[in-house]
Amino acid sequence: MNWFYFSSPSTFYRFAGRLAPWFFALAALLTAAGLYMGLVVAPTDAQQGEVYRVIFIHVPAAWMSMFLYFVMACYAGLSLTFNTRLSAMMARAIAPTGAMFTFMALWTGAFWGRPTWGTYWAWDARMVSELVLFFLYVGFIALANAFEDPRRGDRAASLLALIGVVNLPIIYFSVQWWNTLHQGSSVKFTGSTMHIAMLQGMLLMAFASWMYAIGATLTRVRSVILERERRTRWVREL
Amino acid sequence: MTHEFYLWMSYGVSAVVVAVEIVGLAMRRRSALRGVEEERDLEAQD
Repeated sequence: MNWFYFSSPSTFYRFAGRLAPWFFALAALLTAAGLYMGLVVAPTDAQQGEVYRVIFIHVPAAWMSMFLYFVMACYAGLSLTFNTRLSAMMARAIAPTGAMFTFMALWTGAFWGRPTWGTYWAWDARMVSELVLFFLYVGFIALANAFEDPRRGDRAASLLALIGVVNLPIIYFSVQWWNTLHQGSSVKFTGSTMHIAMLQGMLLMAFASWMYAIGATLTRVRSVILERERRTRWVREL
Repeated sequence: MTHEFYLWMSYGVSAVVVAVEIVGLAMRRRSALRGVEEERDLEAQD
C-alpha cells in the first residue's frame, strides 16, 4: 500500500469523507453499550456509592486528552520536519477535539472530587498538569489562527505542540512523583483492581471516545482542506 | 447535594459539550463550502 497516496489533500478529502460516518456510527454503538454497562450492569461501589459512575466519562476523557495531544504533536513534528501540508491540517483538526476531552476530564473530575474529596478543585499535581494541557490546546488553536499566512501559523503552533509534549509524562506520572489528592491508576498494563463490569464499561466508553475523536477529526480536516485549497482546481470541480 | 446532582452535572455537561462540537463541525463545513462557492463565482466572473 502506498501511504504517500493518502498524503495528498485531494485524496485524503475523499477518503476521510467515506470513513467519518462509520466512525461516528461505531462511536454511537459503543457509547450505548458502555452506558448500559456503566449505568445498569456495573455494581454500586462499596466506598463511594453511585457517584463513582462519573468514572465512565472521566477516565476515557482524560485518556483521550493525553492521547490526542500526542497524536497532534506527532503530526506537528511531521509538518515541521517534512513540510507536509496534510500533517499541519491534521494537527489543526485534532486540537479542538483534544481541548473538548480535556475540558470534559477537568469538569467531570471536579464533580467527582466534590463528593469524594470535599472540594471541586485543589492545586494538585495531576489536576494542574491537566489544566496546563487544556491551556496548551487553547494556545495551539490561538497561535495557529493568529497569522494571516496559515503556513506561518502552522509552524508556530507546531513548535508549541512539540514543546508541550513534555507535559504528558508529567500528567501520567504526577500521582507517583508527588503526594497528590488524586488516586493512582486503577488500570495498568499489568492488570486492573476494578470489578470486571466496571472495567468493561470504562473500556467500552474509552473505545467510543476514540471512535468519536477519529470521526470528528476526519470531519474537521475536510473543512480545513476546503478552506486551504479552495482556490485549487480539484476543489472547484467538486 | 445528592449523588444524582454530581452525576447529572457530569453526564449532562459532557453531552452538551459533545453536541456543541458536532454543531460546530456542521457550521464549519457549511462555511467552508460557502467559501468554495464564492471562489467558483469569482472564477465565473473572470
